[in-house]
Amino acid sequence: MNKLTLPLAVMIFELRRSLTIGRIAIWFILVAFPVAIITAIHLIAKIEMGERFEAEEMIEPLGMAMYFLIPEVSCLLGLLLWATPAVSTEIEGQTWVYLTMRSSGRRMVLIGKYLTAVVWTLSASLAAVALCTIVVDSPIGSELWWVLTKLVVLSCFVHAALYLMIGTLFYRRTMVAAVMYTVVVEYVFSFIPALVNKFTINYRLRGLLADWMQWDNARSQAEHIFGNEPVSTHLQLLGLMVVVFLGIALYRVERTEYPTQQEG
Amino acid sequence: MIELNQVSKMYGNVVGVNDLNVTLESAAYGLIGPNGSGKTTLINLLIGHFCPTLGSVRVFGRNPTKDRRILRNIGLCPASDVLYPNVSALEWVKYLVRLHGISRRQSRTMAEQALEIVGMSDAMHRPMGTYSLGMRQRTKIAQAIAHQPDLLILDEPYNGLDPVGRADMTAVLKGWADEGRGLLFASHVLQEIEAVTSSFLLIYGGRLLASGTAEEIESILADTPQQVRVFGPDAARLVHRLADVPWVDSLSLSAGRTELAVSLRDPGEFYRQLPHWIRSDGLSIERLRTSDGNLEALFESLLKHHRGEMP
Repeated sequence: MNKLTLPLAVMIFELRRSLTIGRIAIWFILVAFPVAIITAIHLIAKIEMGERFEAEEMIEPLGMAMYFLIPEVSCLLGLLLWATPAVSTEIEGQTWVYLTMRSSGRRMVLIGKYLTAVVWTLSASLAAVALCTIVVDSPIGSELWWVLTKLVVLSCFVHAALYLMIGTLFYRRTMVAAVMYTVVVEYVFSFIPALVNKFTINYRLRGLLADWMQWDNARSQAEHIFGNEPVSTHLQLLGLMVVVFLGIALYRVERTEYPTQQEG
Repeated sequence: MIELNQVSKMYGNVVGVNDLNVTLESAAYGLIGPNGSGKTTLINLLIGHFCPTLGSVRVFGRNPTKDRRILRNIGLCPASDVLYPNVSALEWVKYLVRLHGISRRQSRTMAEQALEIVGMSDAMHRPMGTYSLGMRQRTKIAQAIAHQPDLLILDEPYNGLDPVGRADMTAVLKGWADEGRGLLFASHVLQEIEAVTSSFLLIYGGRLLASGTAEEIESILADTPQQVRVFGPDAARLVHRLADVPWVDSLSLSAGRTELAVSLRDPGEFYRQLPHWIRSDGLSIERLRTSDGNLEALFESLLKHHRGEMP
């Protein structure tokens, strides 16, 4: 029982030590920037369209913008800060050896740090979703909020596992590796109309968005972006990605001889 | 307690440790060697952080790389500093004890006891960022002993401690050793280790050069050539006196002709003759430096002995 709660102990310790002005400021920025952009888009549309503005008609472009800004950008930025350097910061701070000296250290610390990254990013992203939904003020706002909440949860769990894996594979220049991967794979490959985009997380999330929001028009016009697979396929593949990424990260962290300090 | 069987560790083409063979019963040992000699590599092998390239490592009969449960029986105080500035010593030590799978309540009790032993009770609720180097060092020792291990491994534990702190730490370590528990204490300062234990392992260039008590190592050194450096404006004038004597192995004069390095087979004879030569030749010699003040030279001598290059 004690061992089962260890990841929670790691998470509490990590969250407690993250209570710094810098980290709290980043949390507020992650919440504020999608809200600011959505507010601006909403106001511009209202001013430009005048009396022709109908909130219900605007739900699709605003929903797309919210999806792009929160599960695809805000979540990724938060996780880049938390999940990617999970191991490298401990190595650079020369604290890794203290953790690996514990019989359950390596695995439990990694899982705990994964949960910390998810919880921290999830809290900022869910706050952003809620505030953006209030700003959009649509009759189907609650439906949009519920769909985006589900997508944010999925995005956090899958991307955190991905970045954690990258962090264990590339403990030097971790951020560079993660940013390169995100730009090339998640933002470029996911839009390429070929088999390659089916292996990206964002393709799966976009498919779920179109499906859950019943945006059949968007789907038929841009099938390579939104896909045509059923919800269950997307969910199963996202779940598989989490298992594979975490499995590789755990294997790697158990087996790798990470540097400890200068040799003496 | 520790069994190393033909253990070598390579970092690419660089040798970390080379062909280590030693069996240590549960007791206190000093691991002495200059910086870069392989002490930390050896420690990393003992805690299973590194896997040996060749050979086998056993601690309490188990392979630490494969069976991580053994870490419950080992406490490590690494040389690296702690860098969690906004976390208190109590939180940090409790967290590390908890990572052994020990309950939250028991972890707290064990952390408090360990911090009391190292004299950190008063400051244990303060963030570590406000600690002095000595306080951080004590906290590091506390995290190593908090889970009550059977073997305590310390890498340069006196770093940053003031004389009072050193005396307190020596008392803690002597108490630990007197209880019959295992202690491996790595340092490049012989006197630090001597204060705690009289059993040594001498490591240099990744090789275990000698092991035993201080007397046993001194007897090895007695038969080993030692280097003495003579400093002064007339150091060069000693060359003609030393060139023909049978107990001198080599002479090396510095470019400025004020420093003479003498490799001696019989240091006693050198010390008997030197005052006589200074007086009769009217030499101006400022100081002598023996291998006691030059650990590297001492280890070079032991390395030659280890290779069988010297009698």
